[in-house]
Order: sequence, then C-alpha cells, then structure tokens
Amino acid sequence: MATAEDPEKKAEIDQPLLERHKKPVCLIVLGMAGSGKTTFVQQLTGLLHMKKKAPYVINLDPACREVPYPVNIDIRDTVNYKEVMKQYSLGPNGGIVTSLNLFATKFDQVIKLIEKKSENTEIAIFDTPGQIEVFTWSASGSIISETLGALFPTVVVYVIDTVRSVSPVTFMSNMLYACSILYKLRLPFIIVMNKIDVVSHKFALEWMKDFEMFEEAVERDKSHHANLSRSLSLTLDEFYKDITTVGFSAVTGEGFEEFLAAVDAAVVEYETEYCPEHDRLLKLQAEARTKDKDRQKKKFQHDFDNDVQAQSVSSATSEILLRNRAIGGESSSDDEEHEGRPGDDDDEEDRVGQKSFHNFLEEQKKKQQSKSNKPS
Amino acid sequence: MRYAQIVIGPAGSGKSTYCTEMQRHAETSRRNIHIVNLDPAAESFEYKPSIDIRDLIHVDDAMEDEEMHFGPNGALVFCMEFLLENLPWLENQLGEDDDDYFIFDCPGQIELYTHLNVMKKLLEALELWNFRLCAVFILDSHFMINASSFISASMAALSAMTTLEVTFISILSKIDLLSKKSKKQLERFLEPDVKDICANDTAVVNSKWNQKHQMLTEMIGRVLEDYSLIKFAPLNITDEDNLANILFMVDNCMQFGEDRDIKMAEFDAPDEEDEDNDDGYEEGRG
Repeated sequence: MATAEDPEKKAEIDQPLLERHKKPVCLIVLGMAGSGKTTFVQQLTGLLHMKKKAPYVINLDPACREVPYPVNIDIRDTVNYKEVMKQYSLGPNGGIVTSLNLFATKFDQVIKLIEKKSENTEIAIFDTPGQIEVFTWSASGSIISETLGALFPTVVVYVIDTVRSVSPVTFMSNMLYACSILYKLRLPFIIVMNKIDVVSHKFALEWMKDFEMFEEAVERDKSHHANLSRSLSLTLDEFYKDITTVGFSAVTGEGFEEFLAAVDAAVVEYETEYCPEHDRLLKLQAEARTKDKDRQKKKFQHDFDNDVQAQSVSSATSEILLRNRAIGGESSSDDEEHEGRPGDDDDEEDRVGQKSFHNFLEEQKKKQQSKSNKPS
Repeated sequence: MRYAQIVIGPAGSGKSTYCTEMQRHAETSRRNIHIVNLDPAAESFEYKPSIDIRDLIHVDDAMEDEEMHFGPNGALVFCMEFLLENLPWLENQLGEDDDDYFIFDCPGQIELYTHLNVMKKLLEALELWNFRLCAVFILDSHFMINASSFISASMAALSAMTTLEVTFISILSKIDLLSKKSKKQLERFLEPDVKDICANDTAVVNSKWNQKHQMLTEMIGRVLEDYSLIKFAPLNITDEDNLANILFMVDNCMQFGEDRDIKMAEFDAPDEEDEDNDDGYEEGRG
C-alpha cells in the first residue's frame, strides 16, 4: 500500500508545478512617471512579436491618452476615467485610484481571459498607471498583484530612468523606494535601468557592487547625515543581492536578451520559493487532497473576494471612502485582502469556503443515498 | 523666523484633511495657521487656503494646451516647474510677517520627491526666505498590517526623506476609521522596537520569502532603530488631544533645527500629568 501511494503523492505534488509551467508569466511593470514604462512595454512587445512569442498585454492606466502597443485588455474599455472624475467629483489622482478600484472588481474576468490564452502565451505584460503610488499604495493594486501572484508566476519589473539616476542621492532615493515596493508586493523583483541609449548604466552597476564607492559619491553630493548615508548604503548593498538588475533601452532594444534571461530566472525563483509554500498552505486548509477541490475552493474565495469588493465600491462618493470600505473598516473582513494570497489563514474565508465544500459533500451524500434507495 | 509644515504622502492618505483639522484645532488655541495649497490638480477641500497655486496655474491649463498634449502627470510636473520659475510670486504671497506659521498641502506624486528635484528646490527657496521647515509624511494606517508593510512604509518615507533633507515626522492617518481589531494590531507598529517587529513577523504565508530576505530585513530594522528614523505617530482627527500632541511634536522639530533626530523621551512630561491623555504615542492606544 505504501509504495502504491507514493507515486500518487508525487504526482500530486508535481501536478501544481507542472500546471503553472503551462501558465504565462505575468510581468507587472512599475515605475515612476517618466521612467519610460509604456515605451518599455512597447519595445518589449515588439521584440517578443519578432521572436514569435507574442505577449498578452494589459493596460492598467486609465488616464493615458493613447496606448502605443497592441493591447489585449485595456482598462479604458471598462472604466471611463473622465466620467468617474465627474460622477464622484474627484481630481485626477482620485479619478485614477477609483478607476483602478472599479476595474479590480472585474479582475476575475481578466484572469479567465489570461487562462484561456495559456496554451499559446508565455508572457503577460501589465502596464500600470503613471503615478506609481496609485498601484503600490492602493487596495486595488494589492488585490491585483496578490491575485496574479497566487495564480500565475508573477514578477515585478521596476523601471528606472537611468539618466536621472546619475545623481547619487536620487539613485539612493529611488532604490529605497524600490525596496519599499519589494516589501509591499513580496514577489520576484527585476530592476530595469531604462534609457541606456542615452546614458550607460555602468555607474549604477559599480555602485551596486562597491558600496564604499557609492557612499563616497553620496557624501560628495550632500553634506548632511554622513553616518546615515553609510548605514543606508550598507543596507542597500544587501538589497542588491536580493534582486536582479538589467540595463535596457526602450528605444534601441538593447538588453532584451538579458531581460528575458532575468525573467526566466525570476520564474524559477517564483516556482521554488513561492509555489511550494502556497501549495503547502492550500493542502493544509483543504479537507480533501484532490486537485478539483483545491480549484473549487480557490475559485469560490476569489469570487467571494470580488463580491465584497463590488459591494464596497458601489456606494462611495470619494476615493478615500471607497478605499476604507474596500479594506474593511468596521466589517468583520478586516484587512483580509491584504493578508496575503487567497487561501490564507483566515477565519471568515475559511468558514465560507468550507461551507461551500460542506454543501458539495452533502449533495454528494444525498445523491448516493437516493441511488442506494432506488429499488433494484 | 517663520515656520512651515510640508505635508506629503501618497494620494488619498489624508493630507488635505490633516491640513483642515490642524488649522481648525490651532484656532481653538488662538493660533493662526495659514494653509498653502500646492496641488495644482486639487479639486476641492474643506480648508480655505491663504495661498493657492491654482491662482498661478492649474493642471487644466496645462492639459488643455494644444501644443503640449500633457496627461495628468506631465501636467502636474509642468505646473510645479512653472511655480519654480515664478518663485517671486510665491515669495510675494507669503508676505514678510515674522512668526507666521504655514502648512503646505503638497501633491501626492512621489516622483516630485525622488528623481525630480522640484520639491527640494522649493524647500531650498523657503529656507532662503528664513523659514524653519518640518516635513510631515502621512500614510493611511489601513496599510500598516504586518512587518512587511511596516518596512515598506518606512522605506517609502525614507526615500522622500533622503532627497528633502529636512526634519521629518511620519504619521499614520485615519485611526478613527480602523476597526478595533486593526487598532490593536497597529499598536505593535507604534512601539519603537523595530527589531522586535521584524523578528516576530507572524505571517504564515511566504515564510520562505521572509527567510530569503532575512538579512535585508534585519539590516533595515537596525538602521531604522539606530537612527530613530521612522516612528509613526497615530492621527485621529476626532481626538483633540491627539491633534494637540502632533502639533506639539512638529513645533518641537522646527525649534530644534534640522540636524537633530526626533527624540521621543521629551514627551514623557506631558503624558504623565494627564491620565486621560489618549495620544496613543508612548503607551499605545487604550
């Protein structure tokens, strides 16, 4: 019995990994306004097309004027940014956050579309809004990145304007912010130093390799807080070990192969470090160890999350109110959406998930009983 | 000598509300605080600004311009750079009265504080005009739920601090909107033991991620701790004592100058005297 079970178990453990291998890797492209995110996505899309690896592209910027690449899903088709501003009396910032919130309620449809395309798509690219904090410091941004991270190999691509980063203080500030994002999204992280056709990023690589050189450069740049700069430089030194950096030119396409290699490495990182953890948790929570039941629970929690989200979005008049309700405020679903991936340690969702599973079992039992009760 | 609070933070964190409440609170103690709106994209707010950048330029002006084709970001940057080119206008608006106290409500975009040195140049101008400054970084407390997000928030604040180079205070807003459970969770992050926070992150999910980044987490914790860099003060706009304490904190920062780290021990005296003091800073919220 024991030996017969083992190949079964092994198949079970390997299955989810194999499944994910078939799924496209999702690149969430983040960066400050003006760093060249959209141009980066444009160039990347073009190059991938040439390699016959056409990506699935999603635009999440509701306020952009035009999208310079072939886009598969465009947030502007679902949400009218100007209308949102008018209807809720919001400024441009509030308009973007609210638009993203509204879009997040429909995100399950995006997931379905991506999954449908799994067979012939290797890469899905997400172009995010110009203002980075609209994604990093918002409930919808968290929901989107966490949902993707739970279902697909997901990688954060942080685009930096190399030209502006030649100033050591700006570079440090940028890297500290990158670190902030790393801790917020908790996904494999690639830094893309863009615009290397204008300025080579070699200086950045040197600073990343030799923190003393960097620290000297910082001290020459500003006189305050020398000790602090040193400590921060040391800390950033540690940060660089945890991430990959590639130079890229969104204009010439230089750095493309290196970038693809970095993505491959990130996918491996995702699969060895995130997936096993996630699968282990799913197994702990689900009562039965079959793949079908895991999927059903996942789908239900996912739908449940979106229901909560939809309810909370429908009544707000300001973006602040929207965010508070979405996150939970007084309701029992405190901070659920932030606590990690769906399938987490979470009473409310557990109970609901188990309830549906319970109903499923009951139905099965009833079916069995009615079968056995039939006169032969 | 004049004083100015520079209020910054991500969109929706509660900057404008903070300004409104601070001004109202100050009025109750017969203090006159002037609010300056520096957000050219602001739609409306409850306070009446003494100075408004929209009198000089509005994002709509920039976005509607046929030649320039600006989106919201480009328009904002354009407006801020326009302000820098017209500093005499601002200087004029600020007047010359000594002891004047201002609160600057700034745009949320982090780009202005990192690789665009717009805000930095503005602060330099203010200092030239004999202003003492204190930056108030506001973050929505709903985001402070575990060690990871605490570090994330601290790093974001540090990122802005690095370029601005002025005294800094970090605030967690909307405490009054938190549920009881969340408030309790929050208390951990108001306590100064950063290393403890980092070491005891009980998030079960992604413990492998925690392991992988453990060295980095520890180093960050050490820096934050050693330099008393980021202490978050809770902000409950419905609590007058809370508002008073924060105002007191910021006032102190400006009197002590830019190079001193924020020392929390100085607030022991007021706390001991007042048992009902619900500032939640030293003792944690009740």
